Amino acid sequence: MKRSKKIKIGLVLIAVPGYSETFFRNKIQGLQAQGVEVVLFVNHFKQGMDRLGCKVVCGPNFSKGAFKTVITSLWILLKALFVTPGKTFRYYQLEGKDGVSFKARIKHLIRHHFLLTESVDWLHFGFGMLAIDREHVAGAIGAKMAVSFRGADLYLSPLKHPGCYDRLFTKQVKYHVLSASMQETLAGYGISKEVVRVIPPAIDVTFFDNTHEEEALPGLHFLTVARLHWKKGLEYTLEALALIKDQGLDFHYHIIGEGDQYERLVFAVHQLGLQDCVSFTGKLSPKAVKAHLAQTTVYLQYSIQEGFCNAVLEAQAMGALCMVSDAEGLPENVMHGHTGWVVPKRQPHLLAQQLQKVLGLSDPEKTVIRNNAVSRVRSHFNIEDQEQAFFKFYNEAESDY
Amino acid sequence: MTSKPTIAIYSGDIPGTTFIERLVLGMAHSGQRVYRFGFLKAPVAYPKTVKVVGYRNTKIGKGLHLLYYTLLLILFRYKDKRQLDKVLKETATHLTLAKVKAYPVLWHRPDVFHVQWAKDLNNWMWVQRFGMKLVLSLRGAHINYSPIADAELAAMYRAHFPKVDGFHAVSKAIALEAEGYGAPKARIAVVYSGLNLKDLEVEKPDTASVFEIVSVGRSHWIKGYPYALDACKQLKHAGIPFKYTIVGAAHDIELLYQIKDLGLEDEVVLLGQISFDSVQLLIRKASVLLLPSLKEGIANVVLEAMALGTLVLSTDCGGMGEVINDGVNGFLVPIRSPKAIADKLIEIRELSAKAKKDIINKAYNTVAEQHQLEQMVKGMQALYGEVLNTNGKGHYG
Repeated sequence: MKRSKKIKIGLVLIAVPGYSETFFRNKIQGLQAQGVEVVLFVNHFKQGMDRLGCKVVCGPNFSKGAFKTVITSLWILLKALFVTPGKTFRYYQLEGKDGVSFKARIKHLIRHHFLLTESVDWLHFGFGMLAIDREHVAGAIGAKMAVSFRGADLYLSPLKHPGCYDRLFTKQVKYHVLSASMQETLAGYGISKEVVRVIPPAIDVTFFDNTHEEEALPGLHFLTVARLHWKKGLEYTLEALALIKDQGLDFHYHIIGEGDQYERLVFAVHQLGLQDCVSFTGKLSPKAVKAHLAQTTVYLQYSIQEGFCNAVLEAQAMGALCMVSDAEGLPENVMHGHTGWVVPKRQPHLLAQQLQKVLGLSDPEKTVIRNNAVSRVRSHFNIEDQEQAFFKFYNEAESDY
Repeated sequence: MTSKPTIAIYSGDIPGTTFIERLVLGMAHSGQRVYRFGFLKAPVAYPKTVKVVGYRNTKIGKGLHLLYYTLLLILFRYKDKRQLDKVLKETATHLTLAKVKAYPVLWHRPDVFHVQWAKDLNNWMWVQRFGMKLVLSLRGAHINYSPIADAELAAMYRAHFPKVDGFHAVSKAIALEAEGYGAPKARIAVVYSGLNLKDLEVEKPDTASVFEIVSVGRSHWIKGYPYALDACKQLKHAGIPFKYTIVGAAHDIELLYQIKDLGLEDEVVLLGQISFDSVQLLIRKASVLLLPSLKEGIANVVLEAMALGTLVLSTDCGGMGEVINDGVNGFLVPIRSPKAIADKLIEIRELSAKAKKDIINKAYNTVAEQHQLEQMVKGMQALYGEVLNTNGKGHYG
């Protein structure tokens, strides 16, 4: 492929990615390393925050009372008319072609005008939901449009907001998803696979590696790193562990993460009689997570809904034995019987049975699985490959997708 | 003590939940003088024996309320006000709001101050210093699970429960839980929720063409709906045609996802809040009312279903075993067991009409014998009487 000029990409996010949001940070830094200019369009930004070497364009804040909202809206309309008249007119026209009412068009213009202020080659929405009511922004500024779907916004948002992507899915968009399973889901909405690129997450395999010095703790230690959210299936996991405990096995289960389901999970631990076997550590630093991974017997990710899951990649890279559910992208993350084990979701007794089998494997059998996992993550999910994949994503000729 | 003591039934808001309003009206109709303190959520029409001392939940509403009672206290009970201010300064997290709530209580000074929600207890321990007796209801989440995950709350309970003058437990099971936090057994009265059976239409229309299951309750993890949906998957797998309606869980994303995930879109319906009459109609039409909860005091909806002539399948959680005798007046299954729910639903579906009728009759008798409004009112009056007859100024300090 030829690189005739420097590509400029507008990445639309909620906020500038924080330290722990490795996916977007890696992506941005990878693109910059390839000579791509990245502009960030965000809803919230405060001066002094890390810009990741990008120009940051922040959307209007309408939460400061009615008077300020009116003044801000009038100011945006003036800018739309006198600073970006061409783009504004095109946006207004394109929205009209979709049958959007006059009132809604003005409202959309006020809310989304900040996206019209830059000229970019690609306007890439970091989440599907960020593209709602902004389907014509790229067209108005003469850019190509791309949308990334993560697990939650593809699988949960349409349930919460039925029909929310109906308009988006009629537009010329190039999509990025995390797994082939997600690609299939998009195909179910009538999106040609030709315009959907699967680029799985990547991890820093030089940080999460299996050459660590930590030794496994005595006894059996199970681990999950996850937000305390219903979709992570932690209640089912605890029920499986209660079955294991009933069979007389001694173990300790560590859950790293925080979230709004803490009360539910602590109650489950109490009701299932697991008080002595389960610890909630809260959120930990990557270094502390790494130390836990190094000392764990089996890593569990028995999720109900999961786009792909970086935590499982990190666990495999560390040489941990991984057991996951068959939720969406997880069977592509862990190859059943080769780099770990995949168990049908929502069936704690099956998880308990599989866990017993895994614990019964010989050391050499376990080592084979560990080595397979480390090797596959290193070769398939490293940051360099992801950078190349995204660079290709933007540079493919339109005829290629 | 006069022959007509005054009781404050405090839930924070006016009107409170259905069962709290039932208690207020039951007490009022029995001739009891009742105070209702708190913020006015909606208009209320109480009998004359109920005195509402409420404020609008706006800055002006709260300001005027505070001003009025501050003036009264300064003019007529200045010493008491100073003493209360000192207590509130030490205990309140929001001092002004605490005064808005507390000053009217200090001014009217009911004989018994009955707190409905245990998490509120810390804000009302002071009433004992002014000669009021403190009664606490032991209900649902506040006792059953919140203190398990919240160590600070558990510590507050342990510090204060031994000092409370009397407890109203909605079930024997919840009384036991409270004893774990130091509530003295001798001060706990188990008073079951009461229904006014006359308000409930018992004639059952036999209109269900498929096996209709209904659950009623807020959208919350403690209600155990994911287990009910997993059970539905098993029913579907067994080839049983059914319809499952959950009232009160519309827009619950976890359940919506599970319904789609398990392919139950044609069988399961999530409804939002609907009127009490519509809920009754749904229950009456249903083949079975399902309560898949992980923990309950005693679920009122189960009592209502039993009174309405609908079979009940409940998990054996909290106090449900005090109402339901498995296979006699309803059905009980272990908690967290979709298979047990599915198996029992199949068993219920296959019951003969005579067996169903027999169970329904026994269920009605259970409610009539131990869950009538009059019984609840008498139970509460006995508790208040006992508390007021206790010598000394309560158990404070």
